[in-house]
Amino acid sequence: MEIRLSSVLLAALLLSGCGWFHRGDKGPAPIPSDEPQQEPTIIEPQVTRRVVKTPKIKSKDFELGAYFGALSVEDFGTNPLYGVRGAYHVTEDIFLEGFLARSKAGLSSLETTFPDITVVSESGRRFTYYDLDVGYNVLPGEIFLGRGHAFNSQLYVTAGMGDVKFADKDQFALNFGVGERLLITHWLAAHLDVRDHVFESDLFGATKNVHNIEATLGLTVFY
Amino acid sequence: MPRLLALILLLQAFLIGAVEAKQAHLELVVTRPYLEMHTGPGRGFPVFYVVGRGEIVTVLYSRTDWYRVRAARGEEGWVRRDDLAATTLESGDPAPIPPYPDFSAHRWELGAAYGVYNRENLVSGYLDFGLTDSLDVELALQQAFGTIDTRDIATLGLRNTIVPEWKWISPTAGIGFGYQSITDNAPPAPLEAHNQLAYASLGARGFITRRFMWRFDWRAYYVFNQLNKSEVLEEWKFGLAVFF
Repeated sequence: MEIRLSSVLLAALLLSGCGWFHRGDKGPAPIPSDEPQQEPTIIEPQVTRRVVKTPKIKSKDFELGAYFGALSVEDFGTNPLYGVRGAYHVTEDIFLEGFLARSKAGLSSLETTFPDITVVSESGRRFTYYDLDVGYNVLPGEIFLGRGHAFNSQLYVTAGMGDVKFADKDQFALNFGVGERLLITHWLAAHLDVRDHVFESDLFGATKNVHNIEATLGLTVFY
Repeated sequence: MPRLLALILLLQAFLIGAVEAKQAHLELVVTRPYLEMHTGPGRGFPVFYVVGRGEIVTVLYSRTDWYRVRAARGEEGWVRRDDLAATTLESGDPAPIPPYPDFSAHRWELGAAYGVYNRENLVSGYLDFGLTDSLDVELALQQAFGTIDTRDIATLGLRNTIVPEWKWISPTAGIGFGYQSITDNAPPAPLEAHNQLAYASLGARGFITRRFMWRFDWRAYYVFNQLNKSEVLEEWKFGLAVFF
């Protein structure tokens, strides 16, 4: 019994040993069958589509700048004025423009004649305004400088409304103006403007419309 | 050291990218017999150069309905929007000239108005953002000039355009709240220097041309004051606006 068991073990050992010698062999190769086992899959090409970006066209309809000039405050003399302006060009004819400026009024003739009289306090002499205007390019054209240079220009009219703060009081003011825009380059413009700010004033007793005319020179850049 | 080098390279790449991005301009092919270049961005400015069919022009920027373009030979001039729209991309696709903003579906609106607030002259500026075609958020900054005081008013509200498809005139209604600051011009000084407000409004708007529109607005304000009397003020205004 014991011998039989040991011979079985030996045979098993030998068999496993034979298996050892065949360890590198591969099994019989599977016979390729002609029939497809599954439905054929459609191969999706892994192509990334090249996105052609067309550059966007920048619009340069805004015009920003500063101006300097003289403001004649009715009854209070003529004084320097400086301000900033910004416009948006809606069409080739029409633009919207905003102005913000300050100046300081001088002495009225009454105060010069009678130095003891004060019509407006020192802080009230400060003259500041803002305006919201609509402008129209009436006469576009070209200006020639000698034979070799031509500059684009536009004569425009503006009208609008805003606030004038004078004599420590905010007043509703209308304004009317005419100006010339001269394009030094295609992005830089020089301006020559004359504008009238009209508002009601009762500083000298009776209420009347006062006209405050300014003449200014400005420089603006198109964005 | 390698880190520094990498940083320099990265910066350089970024800078080159930035420069390239800045220089990227649209290039279009002239497909009509010729493309006229004017000396200025306006209908009266003379034609000084003509670009022939098949030539390429570089579009630099636009101003209103005019485009500044550079021809292959370096000449720069202004081309009408309609003329430039007739060109194509090098691929043959039509030139990507942006269309005019659609009035009934525009997003932004910027305007100014004249009005009367509590029987005083009123100057108003406003910015409007369209949440949908019919519902807008409106921010208005206003100044009312009275004989005894000046009021600076800021309001924020919602406005509904009742029939946004109606182009030339369409009724609107809105509600909102605001704040007013009162500065006295002449004694006696106002009892309160500032108040909160709420308003309800009725109005109308309409298309004028291109990106221009008009707007009329009537508002009834309820002023929340500490005095023993509730104050109701009336305002109307008419204005012009540009939409984007």
